[in-house]
Amino acid sequence: MSSPLRTSPQPPTLDDEISALQSKTSTLLTSPSTLALLSSDPKLTSQSSLHQSHHLQTLYRTCATLTLFRAQDPDPNAVDAGSILGLRIEVVSRAKFLRPYYVLFNRPWASSSSLPGPQRKWLRVHRHTVPSCIPLSGLAARYLPSPDKDDTRRKQDLGKFARGVRREVVRYHARLGTVADLRKAAGLGRGGDGGDKSGLVDISPADAEVRHVSVEWGDGRTGRLVIGDDGEVEKLVVVGENGRDREAGRELLGGLGLAGTVKAEEVVRRLAGTGGA
Amino acid sequence: MSRISVPTTAPLPSSLRVNPSSTTVTKILSRLSRASLISVALDWLDEDNLSLATPYLRPDQDDDEEEDDGDFYPPASSPEELREEYLSLQNRKGSKRDVLDRITTGDWRHGVSLYQLAIADLQYLYDHPTSQKWSAYNIVPLKAPTEDDDGEVQPLEADKTSLTIPRFHPSLFLKSLQAQILPDIKAHYNLDRHKTLPLLILRIFVIDSPYNTPLSLSSNGKMDTGSKTILIAFPDGSPNIFISKPTSTGPTGASESKSLRALLVEGIPKALSLPRQRVTLQSTSLTTRNLEGLLDRRGATRGNAAGGGWSIYADEKVKESPLSTVLPSPPLSDAAEEEEQGNGDKKRRERPTVEERVNKRAKLVAQARFGDTARVGDGKGVERVDLVMEDPFEIGGDDADRMDIEGEDDGEEAFRPNVRLTFHGSHVFAGIRQLVECGVIDGEKMPGWMTGEEGVTIGAVRNGRIRGHKGSGL
Repeated sequence: MSSPLRTSPQPPTLDDEISALQSKTSTLLTSPSTLALLSSDPKLTSQSSLHQSHHLQTLYRTCATLTLFRAQDPDPNAVDAGSILGLRIEVVSRAKFLRPYYVLFNRPWASSSSLPGPQRKWLRVHRHTVPSCIPLSGLAARYLPSPDKDDTRRKQDLGKFARGVRREVVRYHARLGTVADLRKAAGLGRGGDGGDKSGLVDISPADAEVRHVSVEWGDGRTGRLVIGDDGEVEKLVVVGENGRDREAGRELLGGLGLAGTVKAEEVVRRLAGTGGA
Repeated sequence: MSRISVPTTAPLPSSLRVNPSSTTVTKILSRLSRASLISVALDWLDEDNLSLATPYLRPDQDDDEEEDDGDFYPPASSPEELREEYLSLQNRKGSKRDVLDRITTGDWRHGVSLYQLAIADLQYLYDHPTSQKWSAYNIVPLKAPTEDDDGEVQPLEADKTSLTIPRFHPSLFLKSLQAQILPDIKAHYNLDRHKTLPLLILRIFVIDSPYNTPLSLSSNGKMDTGSKTILIAFPDGSPNIFISKPTSTGPTGASESKSLRALLVEGIPKALSLPRQRVTLQSTSLTTRNLEGLLDRRGATRGNAAGGGWSIYADEKVKESPLSTVLPSPPLSDAAEEEEQGNGDKKRRERPTVEERVNKRAKLVAQARFGDTARVGDGKGVERVDLVMEDPFEIGGDDADRMDIEGEDDGEEAFRPNVRLTFHGSHVFAGIRQLVECGVIDGEKMPGWMTGEEGVTIGAVRNGRIRGHKGSGL
């Protein structure tokens, strides 16, 4: 954080200095030796405990990646007096934490007298920021069904739901990253037409979920690559002028084996290899 | 061109030329501005489009000079020459009439192809983004058909637990949509990417004729009496679809254009379905003229099910990395702190007057309820919101029997008057936000549906909430 400040020719702005200082004080405030010194000042101890709990929270967020929090619905007519349970899903893409995705639940059956007690506490997805290409409603219908007093076998499982959403979100971002890597390996996407060695002119996602990737060659051949759940190339079809071009498909996979056993990352590595040679 | 017309199920070819004097052509072209007309003509003359929009050129033998004498718009000898002609028109001043005449009686006197009409129509959409009224539909998977004991196939139900996201393949979709269209009407399809928004626009131009020859398009044919245009937009990365209201030329009844839309709403899911993977369209109660607003609520963004004040959770600009060691400041905290200080020091400094504090408080409340949405200039407004109130009327004692003219009484204990609310304006929710900021509406007591967080424009309010939460998609 401080290295760009030192190397930059302009003097650091006040904001930079403040943020650098803030991160230092935060670390200082929570270190055991300072804690011992602070114990006499109530204002500083409360500040320090704030920082400590924040550190604990970020630790959980970093390592567990699924965290819960409480929130308040501002709507005066909200069910259950506006109590909201929030689920925070952390996503890492390209070695950076993205803005987490949120799913916010409420308890619409809290005051319904016809339901047995435990079912009144059941959750329902109220708001969420998960992109529409994640089958959130399907997962909610599976793991967070609405209560039914006649059907006692019904169960809600927030843990399974959260894990399911997280799995889909992570897969989605992994696929997005793979397509970006494929483009990079083929020398596409940085303005120039590139791709002379591989002959590829375009690689782009072809559907909302980025499961299908369309591949285009300079000579008019087009292909479709299907990425599976675990990042394997499920299917690959290349169509040239005279129908299906199996040769080109094998070439793209680089003799790594049949489609279905090859990982998409291996194709990336192979493309990058030929591009560099 | 063939002399006999044979009924066919094929679509209308893009290269089919329409008589330039027909009402459809004049209607489509004359509503464009002069600048747009010229840019459309230049678009037609583009290398890629030339094969489908060939202008009328001078024949190769240059000996018939006398023929040109009476010609007001002498034909050009090459597309390049024509292109330069239009480029110079662009720099000159003149009337729209001149350009229109030049196109219809000069350079494209032998006919304007359906493809050209499609380009011109889309240009109108770019010039007037609010010219179409769009309805958003959600594409949802269906359960596999089941049979009951008598062997009858049960009506298909939406598969709520399905985890597949419907996929859209343009050319496959067109092919199967054509199979769904009845053989006694002919349609021309044109797919185009929207210039600025992440959308794929399909324009369907329908005429009531079983033939796909120029005869069916001739001026005394069916074209002028019953041609209809409908636009379908496919947002990128989102299992939603926007369908416009059909516009028609000629005296077609409202019921007819409604039935065309119904036909399409029925045909589109069949065309989108894949073997063993059927889908259906579900209305999402969102209708607006603003495509950008639609994309914001039904596109590939985070804000689809987090409108209004919830948008703080969807804002991607906010950095919230778990690796940051700095204590986060919750939204509005800086402002809230300032106000608290203001409260405490009021007596000593006497700076903020009561009015100022009330104003500031109203602004803060508006920020809390609306977040960063519903700003006047954000271009994401809806122009009409219709709501039905289904809440019982709170009777204050003696005026219980005062109004039962329009009210439908729901038993003894609850009186539910039939109240319908319609908000109308260029940006309905920005208007409500402004009212909250001025303190006309009490932002803290305002019900949630007034913030637009449900993302619907048609809804029924019960217990102070919009029923069903269709907007959230759950």
